[in-house]
Amino acid sequence: MLTADLVKPRLRLRGPELFIELVSTYDAHWQQTANDLITLFQQHLGHTHAEWHKALETYEGERLDYIVIRGLAKVLSDAATFSPLTTSLSPLQLREQAFAYGPAFATPHPSRSNTRDEVIQRIAQELDTLPEYIESALFADRPATYLLTDLGAEWTPEGLLARYNLELTRGVLYWASQVNIEVHDNTQDQGKSHTQDGPIHDDSTIEPISPYKDLWRYIKLFKLMFWAQPLPEGGYSIELDGPISPFVHATTRYGRQFAAFLPALLLCEQWRMVATVHAPQLQTSQYKLDHTLPLVSHFKRSGLFDSRLEADFASEFEQKMGGKRGHWRLVRESEVLLLKDTVMIPDFTLIDVQDDSRKILIELVGFWHPDYLRRKIAKVREANCAHLLLLVYQGLKVTEDAFQDVASEVIFFRQKPVLKEVMETVEVMAERIYGVRGKGGGKGKKQEMD
Amino acid sequence: MSKSIFFQGGTLVLRDVGDEEHPPEPFKLIKERWRCEGYHYGTLQPTLREQAIRDTVPRWRTLDLTWQETREPHDYQVEALLAWELAKRRGSIVLPTGAGKTFVALQTIYRMKCSTVVIAPTIDLLHQWYARLVNAFSLEIGVYYSGEKKVQPLTVTTYHSAGDLMAEYGNTFKLIIFDEVHHLPAPSWGETALMAPAPLRLGLTATYPEAHEQTNGRWDLSDLIGPIVYTKRIEELIGVQLAQYRTERLRVDLTPDERARYDADHAIYMGYVRAQDLPRRFGASWLMELMRLSVSNVQARRAFLARQRILRLLSSCEGKFNALEGLLHEYAHEQVLVFAEQNAVVYDIAKRYLVPAITHETSAAERKHILDSFQAGRYRVIVTSRVLNEGVDVPEAKIAIVLGGTAGAREYIQRLGRILRKVENREAVLFEIIVRKTLDEGKAQRRQPRKTDPC
Repeated sequence: MLTADLVKPRLRLRGPELFIELVSTYDAHWQQTANDLITLFQQHLGHTHAEWHKALETYEGERLDYIVIRGLAKVLSDAATFSPLTTSLSPLQLREQAFAYGPAFATPHPSRSNTRDEVIQRIAQELDTLPEYIESALFADRPATYLLTDLGAEWTPEGLLARYNLELTRGVLYWASQVNIEVHDNTQDQGKSHTQDGPIHDDSTIEPISPYKDLWRYIKLFKLMFWAQPLPEGGYSIELDGPISPFVHATTRYGRQFAAFLPALLLCEQWRMVATVHAPQLQTSQYKLDHTLPLVSHFKRSGLFDSRLEADFASEFEQKMGGKRGHWRLVRESEVLLLKDTVMIPDFTLIDVQDDSRKILIELVGFWHPDYLRRKIAKVREANCAHLLLLVYQGLKVTEDAFQDVASEVIFFRQKPVLKEVMETVEVMAERIYGVRGKGGGKGKKQEMD
Repeated sequence: MSKSIFFQGGTLVLRDVGDEEHPPEPFKLIKERWRCEGYHYGTLQPTLREQAIRDTVPRWRTLDLTWQETREPHDYQVEALLAWELAKRRGSIVLPTGAGKTFVALQTIYRMKCSTVVIAPTIDLLHQWYARLVNAFSLEIGVYYSGEKKVQPLTVTTYHSAGDLMAEYGNTFKLIIFDEVHHLPAPSWGETALMAPAPLRLGLTATYPEAHEQTNGRWDLSDLIGPIVYTKRIEELIGVQLAQYRTERLRVDLTPDERARYDADHAIYMGYVRAQDLPRRFGASWLMELMRLSVSNVQARRAFLARQRILRLLSSCEGKFNALEGLLHEYAHEQVLVFAEQNAVVYDIAKRYLVPAITHETSAAERKHILDSFQAGRYRVIVTSRVLNEGVDVPEAKIAIVLGGTAGAREYIQRLGRILRKVENREAVLFEIIVRKTLDEGKAQRRQPRKTDPC
């Protein structure tokens, strides 16, 4: 994370709009600088943090671009590991021994019986070691004396410059009070063509999950509040802030979360962001960014199932109902139900292969902690969603009462959901909601976001 | 559906209260729900009962506390606590540094016997609170800051981390204590008091902020915490609790070599500053301007680097070390605290004279060991950077030596407070070592306390 002193000098204010002077990853000067720093850093493997800092200061010399140099160096050292020298006797114990003689002076003095060197020598003798060892171990637990033991990443000049740009951008979001984003998802189309190419491995037998899922997941993970509206052309417009934001004008309390969230947004195909920024000593400004910026996410797309139960259900479906065997496609976590101030992302969506407005959402309520279940029931209630099918593990202390005022269908199961029973219910639900199959059930579209 | 109220991230939110209904005053309809800031909770309680709104906010508990402190309270400490209770258990107590504010807080917790969070300005003070709470109640105490996050019915946090703690656990504390409450008006720190639903609130400080320091129009302490309920000035306590002290300033010279380096760098530095007339053009923020220029102007960059070399030279010049050594000899039988501004210098001194150092890097356990050993007389000298600035207990020290240091009258007073605990009516001495005919002299001038300050 870049500190304010490394971010602020890179900001430019033009009218109400804030710009960050990112570095060009192709620029020869910056490539050279990045390369120099990577080399210098590699040379400091096994050296102390303090030595690395001194070398950096020397490299900077009187260069005016020292802010960028320090920023790049910060990115390098943030990714790396510095660890303390291992000593046989802990520095703490050594200090206790040595300081019992202090204060000790270089020259003999009537009030002190030993000079400093005599004290060190005596301790070295007691511990059967050399005075030099005592000198170097005395404060070996200070971070400044930690040794660079692992570079953490294989840096290329381009990679370092790109990551520096991302960190600068995140640095600005630290001062943001509110963030508005628009996302458009194109990856589902790519997913389809991928499936036509034939399955490659287990996970690809069903469609890749929607990138939105990651977005919602991260929004929740970073404890942000959001207000989302579907856009007519697809995608969402999302307003992000935190619970206290409406009451504290321009609070930057959630800046850290916005910054943490940014790489999740970069996972989306098409997006725009407008942040309201209160950088220190600068007037309030707007910072705008979008997917055309050369920013690279270091977050991974999610691809794993949340539970074994889900994985088993998906694979059984593919085996028995997948491909040409049925008229449903199973898609994982692609739909987002927007509730008042939270989201619900059902585990699966079944989409009719001939009419993709016919959709049934499936949520597995498996072996969970009671708190989780309580929240889940509340969510399902709030969703009040007719095309949601709940598969509930009966071992849970959930009585049917708990789901009584829920619009959805509920099937209870003991070990695992019985696929045949599930699909029968799905057919009944689809017919009830969308009409008989193949007879123009066109009213589905309207209902899907209810 | 029955109406209820719940806590969410520092706010109070009504559930199942329709848009057309009109809940009590502070609530606003935001994003489809009626919401208000956490701190209204105390005044809202009667209304909630009247309107039959089910209250799911409090998660705090009544505690079964036993008092393990052996110290007896001073009269003024009892008075202070009484005044706070009479003021509906809201408000600030103003006592001079060294007058035992922590003790008042411990007594408050003991009398209220409820889940409590203490907010301290620094991690060092957090550690100190932790130790005092453990000693007073023999309970497991929670700590919540960057290094460790463990919440207990009695928890200590820092202003820096308190916002996050309140967002997540705000409704688990009934009493909230703001140590050094003059820090609260800072922009993001004040949010803490706003987010906490805790109905009982206590502020502690030696220097209550003036009205103009509470501006931004946002954080008014009497609104967030309550009024000042009790004040005792330092003059009323000298001799009772605090020892008297005197200040001595030692002026040292640079060696000829140091002087040559100083003059050369000073010429580069001041040459540019004067040529550009920075102080006149930019007033108090001219140094910021110099920093800003140094990313685009070679002369400015050189001037700034020269300034850094000067500060380094001044903080570790031979004269200062000689004077320090002289004082350590002279007061060979006293407990001595040495302050240096930069960590590097602190560790230089620690290694050079084999004396324990306390900085922000020092672990809680080692800090406790060092302070205990100092108290017991096993260690005679402690060298420290700025971490002991506010209210950290070092009762036995009678001699303090300041090497370098930063401007600011408040800091100066509070540093003095460190060595002013009364032990057998002996006079404490603060020595300040400054380098003659250098920037040091200007800094020391600025450090002179204001006339109105109780020195």
